[in-house]
Amino acid sequence: MAGSKNEPVIAVTINAVAGLRYDLPRFKVKPGAQVKLTFTNQDDMSHNLVFTKPGAREEIVNTALNLGDQGPAMNFIPESDKVLWSIAILSPGETKTITFTVPDSVGIFPYVCTYPGHGFVMYGAMYVTNDAMPPIQNDLNISELSRSEEKSKIAGNTVEAASNKHVHASTASQMQHPYKPVAPYLYRVFIDDASPAAIAVNLPHQISYCWDAGSCRLRYAWEGEFLDNTDFWKGHKDGNAKILGQIFYRDKTEFPLRIGDFEHIPVVRFKGYKLIDRYPEFHYFLNKTEIFEMLKPKEDGTGLIRTFTIAGSGEDVWFTFDSDDGVEYTTLKGKQIKGRIKLSSGKTHPFSVIMTKKKDLKL
Amino acid sequence: MKNNFYKGWIIAFILTLNLFLSANPVEAQSYRVESITMPEGLSSETGAIDFLPDGRLVACFLRGEVMIYTPGTKTWKLFAEGLHEPLGISIVSDSEFLVVQRPELTRIKDTDGDGQADLYETLSDDFGISGNYHEYNYGPLKDDKGNLFLGFNTASSRGQIMKEVRGKKDSLGLAHASQMFSPVAYRGWIMKLTPDGKLQPYASGLRSPNGLGFDLKGNLFAADNQGDWVGTTPLYHIKEGRFYGHPASLVWKKDWNSGDPFKLPVQQLDSMRTRASVLFPHNIMANSLTQPVADHTQGKFGPFSGQLFAGEMNQGRILRIMLEEVKGELQGACIPFIDQQGLRKGNNRLAFAPDGSLWVGQAEHGWAGDKGIQRIIFTGKQPADIDSMNLTLTGFDLTFTQPMDAGIADAGNYSFRHYYYEYHKTYGSDQFDVQSVQIKNIKVSQDKRKVSISLANLKPGYIYELKLNNIRSVSGEPLANSMICYTLNNLKN
Repeated sequence: MAGSKNEPVIAVTINAVAGLRYDLPRFKVKPGAQVKLTFTNQDDMSHNLVFTKPGAREEIVNTALNLGDQGPAMNFIPESDKVLWSIAILSPGETKTITFTVPDSVGIFPYVCTYPGHGFVMYGAMYVTNDAMPPIQNDLNISELSRSEEKSKIAGNTVEAASNKHVHASTASQMQHPYKPVAPYLYRVFIDDASPAAIAVNLPHQISYCWDAGSCRLRYAWEGEFLDNTDFWKGHKDGNAKILGQIFYRDKTEFPLRIGDFEHIPVVRFKGYKLIDRYPEFHYFLNKTEIFEMLKPKEDGTGLIRTFTIAGSGEDVWFTFDSDDGVEYTTLKGKQIKGRIKLSSGKTHPFSVIMTKKKDLKL
Repeated sequence: MKNNFYKGWIIAFILTLNLFLSANPVEAQSYRVESITMPEGLSSETGAIDFLPDGRLVACFLRGEVMIYTPGTKTWKLFAEGLHEPLGISIVSDSEFLVVQRPELTRIKDTDGDGQADLYETLSDDFGISGNYHEYNYGPLKDDKGNLFLGFNTASSRGQIMKEVRGKKDSLGLAHASQMFSPVAYRGWIMKLTPDGKLQPYASGLRSPNGLGFDLKGNLFAADNQGDWVGTTPLYHIKEGRFYGHPASLVWKKDWNSGDPFKLPVQQLDSMRTRASVLFPHNIMANSLTQPVADHTQGKFGPFSGQLFAGEMNQGRILRIMLEEVKGELQGACIPFIDQQGLRKGNNRLAFAPDGSLWVGQAEHGWAGDKGIQRIIFTGKQPADIDSMNLTLTGFDLTFTQPMDAGIADAGNYSFRHYYYEYHKTYGSDQFDVQSVQIKNIKVSQDKRKVSISLANLKPGYIYELKLNNIRSVSGEPLANSMICYTLNNLKN
């Protein structure tokens, strides 16, 4: 340990975070270095931190598992000469610091949470070396979760770079379901700029839209690829689905449909949807008026055809829009006046609004 | 020719010998675990499982699929897709299921007979969602009157709420760091959806009720998870109007006028709450209990008919639960079931198949757990185990599944200790007042299947943990489990 005398103390911070992870997948110090390690539990469950001798991680994790009812009193840290340094169990929000001197010889020292059930995924590595560490995406000394995260960071950069060149991002890289999704198809999702009861639908012609079952309205539409659900599917943390494309339409009205009185925002009630040739037809009530709404892509891919079927309450129905919402409106029925279309009252047969995107508009 | 015949027999003999040598040298086990082959491309985190009467399995997975598995042909078929975290299912027919997903309770139906759902009909969305990751929805559990019970998880202070939420927003609980909270109605509640479609508040004070189930008498149970206000994992007997201890939900109580429930004195909250029927000492029995199911197989699954089985996330085990009524309330004991016999961890959902096997669906979702589906089959060999543990005036009666050897009469083979977990706002709880409890007397029944143990004390509010040693059946088989914990809420007298 001679080397430690004149070396400055290396400060290292490791946080336990949601998803059975340490936020620091690995770090490097020189042989003989003195390390001041601060461990904070930012997760909502208990964690400890145990450094083992090189290669001893799994053995220590298994020994900890077999402590049985002795485990809690021992903080799940086995008595073993293969445990080098450790921080006992921290409750959510707690912090603790220890200082230790690493060996003079090089080696890869695992750190792991030995709390039952955590140790097989929640670990990282301290490299004691004068050299560089190996590429992180191939480093088997860090957890699979951290490794795949590093991989997707790298892949994410590539996708970004590719889409900048107007090249479609590769979606075929990995199967996400036991079937190959073919448009039209949908996900119930958490997604930006909608209520938590959103529906994202992918249509043919590279068009997708977000229809909000919480407020019974179309929120926005985009062109390009559909969604990246990586964060959304991860679990144990907030995560929204990410849009892989360019939004060309965004509803800016207070509410697009009015029943009877134009000034009055109707009370919505979502009744579900029916798949017709795999296209969802949304079913909802506005006040006491029953609405069915279906969206299809325009055949030339330049926008959406939005078809409403209104089970008659006998009242006037208004469709309103904002001229800055990114699209031009055409309709076969109804009269268009200043941002609103009045539909004949009492009709039970469908009417369509065609929404054609304005060129090169970014919303 | 003759030579070959003998050769063949010798080879067969060697193969058989090998089989004997490689199998468990003690004896065959009472249960075996089989893994189900999952379809390629499926992230098989299981949110719900149940069976059609013809033995086909219906399973929901967390990326939104509903799939049907035919055990005879071992084939999977997609029924529905695109759901948001489906965590519970109730089967109406082979073409219609009720599934609780994040935004709604949904009727999913194949109306054109092509084997795939085409109608997704909202049965109820009269509850709030804030977008916080932790607001999981559980159920729907149907009673014999046609009511459907749902459980709504609280939100986590480690997550946010969205700018736009569905339903009325409450801000009372938002100010408390590291407390689970209830930003929208009815987070932290068990709800009842009546056959005429009204969603009614039923019981409050839940934190993370990941698992609802009935016993054979129709009593409703909910598992909860250790955390703030929950010292160790509980199983609650849910009754209408009761409060189970986590304060967050109280903001949605009708006519609530006591302000921020987190600021009420602990004693007041404590006096309001109904205690768990069974507590599962943390890390000893369970860390995260899941769906309880009652053994209705009438012996097809072994000797534990009528008892509850519940999953455990952090360890590769199931918990077996035995209940009795004392002073009008259910309480009882828990014991591990099939430890270290090939069951993975992450045991999120359970269902008995018509053939009497117990199917277990696994999930992890960022916590400790696993993926896939396994099934547990009773081999027909009676286990040597504790069948039940019952409170007496002076101690406990233990009933075994078969006659036991002389060791059951020896007090030295039993060690009791008691302890309790604190009811407080901090996460989890240590064990308090851990003390061994002296055995005063042991009486063995004539059929050697039951011992009556008198103890030096019986204190309500404590867990009585019993370890057993050197106890074997008359045929020499060791006990399948050496520890059992009884939650003593009420005394008999």
